[in-house]
Amino acid sequence: MRKNKAMIACFIAPTVICLLAMYVYPVCRTILMSFFHVESLTSDVSAWSFNGVENYVNIFHNAGFQISMRNFLLIWLVGGAITLAISLLMAVILTSGIRLQGFFRAAIYLPNIVSAVALATMWVQYIFNYDYGLLNNLLQMLGLEKFRWLGTDAKFWAMLAAFIFGSVGYYMLIYISGIEGIPTDLYEAATIDGAKKVRQFFSITLPLLRGIIKTTIIFWSINATTFYLWSKLFSPVQTESSTIVPVVYLYDTVFGGKGVVTRDAGAGAAVGVVLTLIIIAVYLVASRLLKSDDLEY
Amino acid sequence: MQKVKRRINWKRELKFIPGYLVVGGYVALTAVMLFWIFGASLSTAKEIFKGEVLKFASGFHFENYATAWQAQNVSVFFGNSLLYSVASCAGVLLIAAPAAYVLNRWRFVGSRAIRYGLVIAMSVPAIMIIMPLYSLAVRWGIKGRILLIVLYIFLRVPYTAIYLTDFFATLSRSYEEAAAIDGCTPAKTFWVVMLPLIQPAVITVTIFNFLSVWNEFFMALIFTSSESMTPVGVGLLQLVNSMKYSGNYGALFAAVIIVFLPTFVLYLFMSRRIISGVTAGGVKG
Repeated sequence: MRKNKAMIACFIAPTVICLLAMYVYPVCRTILMSFFHVESLTSDVSAWSFNGVENYVNIFHNAGFQISMRNFLLIWLVGGAITLAISLLMAVILTSGIRLQGFFRAAIYLPNIVSAVALATMWVQYIFNYDYGLLNNLLQMLGLEKFRWLGTDAKFWAMLAAFIFGSVGYYMLIYISGIEGIPTDLYEAATIDGAKKVRQFFSITLPLLRGIIKTTIIFWSINATTFYLWSKLFSPVQTESSTIVPVVYLYDTVFGGKGVVTRDAGAGAAVGVVLTLIIIAVYLVASRLLKSDDLEY
Repeated sequence: MQKVKRRINWKRELKFIPGYLVVGGYVALTAVMLFWIFGASLSTAKEIFKGEVLKFASGFHFENYATAWQAQNVSVFFGNSLLYSVASCAGVLLIAAPAAYVLNRWRFVGSRAIRYGLVIAMSVPAIMIIMPLYSLAVRWGIKGRILLIVLYIFLRVPYTAIYLTDFFATLSRSYEEAAAIDGCTPAKTFWVVMLPLIQPAVITVTIFNFLSVWNEFFMALIFTSSESMTPVGVGLLQLVNSMKYSGNYGALFAAVIIVFLPTFVLYLFMSRRIISGVTAGGVKG
């Protein structure tokens, strides 16, 4: 086919502009900004003053940021372990020859389709509600005291539980597609050899899913790092230390929020860079530890 | 999925009982939640607090929907989200489809870099780009709905371009040769012949773009500067916050249902397509 240079240029130009304007320029500027003292986000570059790694030093000494990082680590580790374990369990159940597979898959994936704001509102206003919520109704039916699910102590875990519930479907679909890629004769051979289902899971399914598990760990890490919406919906008006996460801290630092004395766009940029470095680190470590070995089967 | 009806073998089903309990319990919680919210959207605040949501003692309060839609501005939020979703779905296709086509068909200066750029752009977190974009928008005085439309288009270009590139690869080059013999210019060939040929992929990617724009929250929150450009997610958050003062919980739940419905209905009709699209292409082992 003849190369039509004018056409190629016209066809690719808008995408190149998009990449430069939406990604390359903003990312570079954010990285640059993290090394400068920038008070207002809209101030001109000439008003920036270079201060090296001071923004980074400052945020790591800031109590709000420390708490948000602790919450992030809990979400990433505890939430990640639970979500991926439940998703894998669901995927194994739904590929085991159970009936109504299609329906269950669709129903479990449903929370990923609907507006997360609507979903979070349902959890806050119904499931966890103190007066008429589902959980307290269940407790009362069992003759137990009502519990303040959204009190300071429990709020973080309530938020995490709701978030996990909504996330499972996505990872489940990924695991299902992985399990369906494993040839069935492996399982048939194992059954003939007398291996029980549990043994088959640990000796066949899990090892062969290594590559997929790596992928889900990376996806989860991106998800946990950019965690924002659920925190906002569980503490809608005022940021609370029980639910603060790095992105909420970033938002408050850059755009102002209750308890933020001075806005600091430079510090916000530093938070963004730190979070991005975390994602890259997880990616590199996961790729190293869980080499998929390019299994042929 | 198999359409063949299996005879129910009760002995065989028995060993699946734990499995049924796990997935069934999960689905049951979702169902109870949706059912209750729907019931609450037709009840008064008093009934909700008394825990008598599904009794409808005072009848069905459809006026909750009217209140939410008009008095609480949900109609504005809804219209905005619809505009954002539809306009950006169309805009994304106009930009990304031609790019996907030339990226698949030709090697040219920078084509590899653009490809890698698109893949990396897909995983750039929003927090790394919003700050400079915000200051750009302020300095250039861009505001209103057009700002969010442009941002959403650009946000979805990388995913859409990468997704469509793989599909153009499945098309034989003989289509273009035939079109050229008939005197069709290469550009026209693309719009009239090639793009319609990958229609199924275009539909799937558009569904995903629609869902993602409809449900987008973070950028909407940052770039929404007035009531008239507020989309559903941010609007719903404002409603929840003002509920403490107005106390009209019935209307709040009606608003939740209104926001929830469009993507839910889309999902009812397209669930198979959506589910197979989630893992198609993107995930590798």
